[in-house]
Order: sequence, then structure tokens, then C-alpha cells
Amino acid sequence: MAVGVNGKKTRKMNQPPVPKLVKDFWPRFSAHTANLSLLLAVGSLAPAALTLYVTGLFARQLELALILLFVQFATVYLMLFFLATVTTRPTKHLLSALTFATGEKDGSTPPNPNETRFKRTGLGAAIEAIYATLSKEGREQNTDTLATATSQVEKALEATQCGFVTYDAQRSMTYANPATPVSETTDGTKVLDLLFQPEDALEQWWDECAANAVRAEKTWTRVPDKLPGEEGRRLFDVIASYNKGLADELILTLVDRTEDYAIGEEELDFIAFAAHELRGPITVIRGYLDVLQDELQDELDTDHKELFHRLVVSANRLSTYINNILNTSKYDRHHLNVQLKETTVRSVYSSVADDMELRARAQRRLLSVSIPDTLPTIAADNGSLSEVFSNLVDNAIKYSNEGGTINVSAVSKGDTVEVAITDHGIGMPSNVVSNLFQKFYRSHRSRETVAGTGIGLYISKAIVESHGGTIAVASEDGRGSTFTVILPTYDSVAEKLKAGNNESKELLGDGKSWIRNHNMYRG
Amino acid sequence: MAIKTILIVEDDRFIGEMYVRSLQRAGYEVDWMIDGNDGLIAARNKPYDLLLLDVMLPERRGTEILEALRGKEDLIPNTKVIVLTNFEQDDESRQAMEAHADAYLIKAEITPRKLLSVIERLTA
Repeated sequence: MAVGVNGKKTRKMNQPPVPKLVKDFWPRFSAHTANLSLLLAVGSLAPAALTLYVTGLFARQLELALILLFVQFATVYLMLFFLATVTTRPTKHLLSALTFATGEKDGSTPPNPNETRFKRTGLGAAIEAIYATLSKEGREQNTDTLATATSQVEKALEATQCGFVTYDAQRSMTYANPATPVSETTDGTKVLDLLFQPEDALEQWWDECAANAVRAEKTWTRVPDKLPGEEGRRLFDVIASYNKGLADELILTLVDRTEDYAIGEEELDFIAFAAHELRGPITVIRGYLDVLQDELQDELDTDHKELFHRLVVSANRLSTYINNILNTSKYDRHHLNVQLKETTVRSVYSSVADDMELRARAQRRLLSVSIPDTLPTIAADNGSLSEVFSNLVDNAIKYSNEGGTINVSAVSKGDTVEVAITDHGIGMPSNVVSNLFQKFYRSHRSRETVAGTGIGLYISKAIVESHGGTIAVASEDGRGSTFTVILPTYDSVAEKLKAGNNESKELLGDGKSWIRNHNMYRG
Repeated sequence: MAIKTILIVEDDRFIGEMYVRSLQRAGYEVDWMIDGNDGLIAARNKPYDLLLLDVMLPERRGTEILEALRGKEDLIPNTKVIVLTNFEQDDESRQAMEAHADAYLIKAEITPRKLLSVIERLTA
């Protein structure tokens, strides 16, 4: 009924315009139907009036005739209106479904094809078909929108200064934007040109994730893209997101922080510069002590010789500490660059042997060194590795008692050579051992009794790891400690380099050349 | 070949005299030049057994001297060369040096006594 009334009103006010939207069709259609019903009802009055006129009822009983005519009109109109409403209702629902599916909002609730009345009449299937068809088209439209979005994201990735890299589960690079430092190997594989710390590499983390995680995130800071000293070196913060099972299993975001880190670099530069300056005079002091010791050999009595030894020992110690500071500042900036050459543990140790012997003797320790000359060769930077040995022997002297013995020994074990420095001194409880290699770490006890800076072991570990080796400690409180430096043999390093780095072959050609720009080990 | 005569090119008088004294005491004949030009002239004029060359020098750097002596043809075929430096040079210049030198030593890592043992090893 409401529709009819509305329709009449609409007609009286104005003819609605030809609909351009789906939702505008129904009011126009329903108004039209109502008008038609009215017209037919009026039309049905004509034969009725004619009948009344022929029977003469109009003349005899006008009132009755008019009542009959009104009843006739009302009946026909109501019947037609009812019929129209029933027959057009599915059209209404279909239009409503169409209106909804096309996304035109008209404020009404869209028909639910699962309603019982729709299921019963079978209209549910038609409504469902409309939804299905139109939402498929909608999907296609969405695909278009997606394509637009993708190209926008691509443009953004091309323009940004941040690197963006994706890898699939097979660990091949699936995408890298232009800001990412990438190089191509000879077989066309794309490789990320970032130098992670060997003990904290991306690959390692990925291995761990693959074994243990479903989702994981990690951030590395100050990751350089080039070796120290090379031009245009950049420093990145790298954020990795791992999602097991995704097509792009690993996503890396690289933030270029070169400018920000430049300030920190300056401070570290200052430390390095200061340490470098200190090396000049200490070199002269050590040198002249050497010269004087030789020249005064016959003139000094035993007592003075002993004083002389103390001068030499202290100068050498000072030199070790300055080198520790210099190397630490280099290491923290990723500037520690070891030059690995084929050599032996015996030869490396020999460069500090006299110094160590003197240090031990001056402090009344007995140094017993047993390094066989039959051990396999190692790939080592003589200067750096000898500093590791002097740090470890120096510690052994510091943390042992007068008259105690310190043993330096080396053995061959599989692909490695193990150098052990053992003291029989005060040892350490296990909670100290676990923190030992941290920067500036000093145990409570040693803080009170022994001088030191807490960087000797930190830098020793860094140097050993730069050689591809490891450093370990075993200690018993009150009974002494053993520090073990485990170094890969030269052959195993050479093999690894040959397998992993195409340009290293020539560098390993003869014992005189060193392993340059090797990607495996670097500080 | 035994080493008897040594030329030192070193501008730091403290370091230079330190080497001169210890080498002379060890029985070597030592000449000492303090700038690069004099060093090059001396090395050309007299066939020394050993050249001890600093890198940072006035007038002419150690690398230039070595290049002049051994770059195109070896003008000092019977001379051993030890390069001494304050700084750890970058890979490339270090490699270039090593190509022409018999040893490459960092001053802070070497004392006169160690230098003597390096020289002994060169003759062995």
C-alpha cells in the first residue's frame, strides 16, 4: 500500500528523472505500476457504469448505483495493487541485491539469499548469482587497483635511499631495489654486498630461524658495504624479517646511516689517532732500551740489570696496551683488517718469545713453552696474533702467584691448531668466565687486586675470530685457568677460500702473498 | 750472500740513530741518509747489501725510491730491501711494496734486536 501511496504522491509532485543508478529504478518502476493500477481501476468503471445505465438503476436508485460503482472501483484497484505488489516483489529484491553488489548505497539492508523465504521461492539462487557475478567483477577491478598500488610501491622503492631486499626460502634474492648494494657473481647470482661480522652473520641467523622460528626480526647496526679504507664506504643498519612459509621468506630493509655514524667515527678516530701518536715515542723508548741494554751489558751489575729489565718489561707492556686500544678502536669501527699469511704458531710466538720470557722472569714466574715445529701451518697476521699471545701470557702472569709456572703449548687437532696458555694461579668462578670476553669487563676481585683495562681479552677474541678461529677458557676457582686459541690450518682456510671466493686463488698461489679482501674473516 | 753493508734512509733522527748504533754494534757497515733524494742517490752509487727504507720521507717517499730502483729494471739486484713504516698501509700500496721488497715491517712492532734477527733470516 505504501508503495502505491508513494507512487501517487511522486506522480503528483513530479515525474522522477530517467534513472542512471540501479537504486533509482525501483521508485520509478513502483510509481509507474501504482499509476497503471489506478488507471485500470478507473477504466473498469466504464463497463460497470454502462451496465447500471442499461438496467436503469441509475434512474431509480442513484445512491445505490454510486455505491456499487465505488465498490467496483475499490475492489479492482485493491486487487490490481495486490497483484502488482506480489508480482514485482522479486524484481524489488533483485534490484536491491544489484544495488548492493554494485556498491551503490541506499541505506537499506541487502537481501540475504539464505533467508527461508528466498530459499523457498528459489529467488535465493538468483540473488546469490548476482552477488557471485558482481563480486568476481569486483575482484577484477581490485586486481586493477592492486596493479596500480604495486607500481606505486615499486616507484617508491626505486626512489628511496633505503635498501629493500627479498629472498625466497631457497635463499636466492628475489628482489633488490636500486639503493641496495648488490653485486653479481660470475654465474649471474645476485649477492648482497654487505660485510657482516663473521660471528654475527646474516646466514647464521637465518639458519637459526629456519631451525627454531616461525617469525623473527633482527637488527644489525653499522654494517659496512666495503672494506675499511675503500672509497665510498657506507654504513647501514639492517633490519631482517623472517616469516617461515611465505613466498618471500626473508625481507631485509637497509637504512643508510653513514652520516649519523660519522660523528661516532670521529670519536673513535680520535682514539685511534691518539693511540697511534703514543706508538711513536714508545717505539723509540723500547728501541733505545734495546740499544742501551746491549751497549751497557758489560758495565751494569746484576742489580742494575734487574732494574733495566723492569724498564723493558714495562715499556713492552705499555706497548701492548696501546696496541689493544688501537685495535679495539679499529675493531669497533670494523677497521681491523688482518693480513693473513701462511706461517706457523711457532714463528708467530717467536716474535714475542723474548719479551714474554723477560716479563715472566721479571715477575718471578716460570714460563715453559712447548710449540713443536712439526705443526701444520696456519693463516695468520703475525702482528695481531702475537698480540693475542702476549695478552694471554700477560694475563697468566697477572693472575698467578710468584714462583708459579705458566705453560704455553700447541697441538694439532683435525683441521685446527690449538694453542693453550695455562696458569696455576687464582682461577675464576664460572660466573666470571661467562663474562670474560666482554669489553671493559673486570671481575670484582680483579678490580680490587690487579691493574688492567678490560679490553685485552675483548680484542684478543676479536683478533682470533678475524682469523676464523675461536678462543675458549677453562678455569677452576683457586686452581688456575687455561685459555685455548683454536686456529684453522692454512690448508683448510685456503680450501674454504677457493670454494667460496673466486678471486682468492691467485692470492694463495705462493706463501709470500697474503689473502686479500677475503670475505670470510674480517674485523 | 752475507750482508755487510747497509744503507738506512730514515728521517727521524731518534729512530735512525737507534738503528745505526745497534747495527754498527752488530758489526755491519752502516750509512744513513735522512731524505729521500739523498737516499736514492746513495743507493744508486754504491751497491749496498741491504737497504733499510722508511716510507714517509721528505723530498721523495720510500715507495718512489723503490719504484725508481726496481720499477722498470732492477738497478740493485744484489741488494735486499726492508721497508719500514709507521702506518699500516692499505692493501694495495702494501702489496706494491712487497713486490719489490724482501720484508715489510711496522716500526712499532719491531725493536732493534728484532730487526737484527730479521736481517739474519734474510741472509739464511
